[in-house]
Amino acid sequence: MPTNDDDDFLTAAIPEPDTEATPSERMHARTFADIIDKTLTNRTPAAMSADDRALVEVATVIRAANGQIELAPEKQRSIVEDALRQAIGGAGASGSGAITPIGKRARSKRWVPWAVSAVTTAIAAAAVLVLWFRAPKTRVVTEPTVAKLPETWRSRPVDPLIGPIARDSAGDASSRIDYIFADRLDGYRDRRLSGRARGGKP
Amino acid sequence: MKTWLMLITITVLGISACSTNDREPVPPSQTKTAEPTDVIDEELMVSLAQAKNFHRKAKVYMSDGNLALATASVRQILSLRFPKGAPEADDVRLDARALLAKLLVSQNQLEEAMRTVDEGLASSQRESFFVANLYTVQGEIHEARAAIALGEGEAGKAKATEERRAAIASYDRSIQINEKLQKQLVDEK
Repeated sequence: MPTNDDDDFLTAAIPEPDTEATPSERMHARTFADIIDKTLTNRTPAAMSADDRALVEVATVIRAANGQIELAPEKQRSIVEDALRQAIGGAGASGSGAITPIGKRARSKRWVPWAVSAVTTAIAAAAVLVLWFRAPKTRVVTEPTVAKLPETWRSRPVDPLIGPIARDSAGDASSRIDYIFADRLDGYRDRRLSGRARGGKP
Repeated sequence: MKTWLMLITITVLGISACSTNDREPVPPSQTKTAEPTDVIDEELMVSLAQAKNFHRKAKVYMSDGNLALATASVRQILSLRFPKGAPEADDVRLDARALLAKLLVSQNQLEEAMRTVDEGLASSQRESFFVANLYTVQGEIHEARAAIALGEGEAGKAKATEERRAAIASYDRSIQINEKLQKQLVDEK
């Protein structure tokens, strides 16, 4: 709690420039200078008034702005990252609280062209495979074509033609071969003539 | 990364869908027609004509009483080349063997006749009326053997009985095959 205006230097009326400092002001200035000195040598006092803390922070910023102080590498990276993120339209690091190192982002950007290339190749390969597997197969039909032939055109057993052979004609093979030959000749001629009629090879 | 995966999936599915829609409605006709292999061709007709000529030649020799040359002519039918797998070949050869066996029996060559029949039965690929006919001829050979055995007197009686039983067995087998094949023909009609 300030005892007079000199003690309340943040809210009290601002003195004239040529006005001589009061003893109280001198004392206060000497105490604050001591705090600043300690802060510069990284020996910031653990306890200080809120007014003094605010002034110390302002003094630190002023000193940093003059280039007389170097930020810690982590702090520097954080500030640059935040600026870059804002430049590409993202939220600032202060909002998310996460800090992405510049090197990591660069690495992640490096594989993007490769990924695009791999994806394009995969799509092309998939298209080739799909076209290949869906290509029409050549089918060779054997049974139906043969089955369509007339029975009389085909080579076949002569049992139905001859029938049971009686005992008294067991040796009459000469008559039977005549009958077999005549029947097969009919089928053969029929096939040949049909083939010519259609213009195809018999 | 998830976006990329989704893009790939959508693209592949799209290509598949396009391919399906393009091909299924109009399947291209690339069917090859198989060449028939069991038709009656020149080779079969030539073989049958040869068999027919040998039979006719044998008939002429038989009418002249020259059984030896008739037998030789019929034997040549067994050597004819038919198209591979032609069913007619089996039937024609079995019929020639039946005639050949009968010619041999008429010349008292019973053992040669039986050998001709046995070879024919062993080589047959299926049951047919010609196989049944060959069993009939086999029965006749057994009967001829029985007759010869009876001519030998008391000593040949047992053998004659045995040959008669064999003849009956051969006839029974012939009848059995004929009945089976006739039933098949009726069922097919």
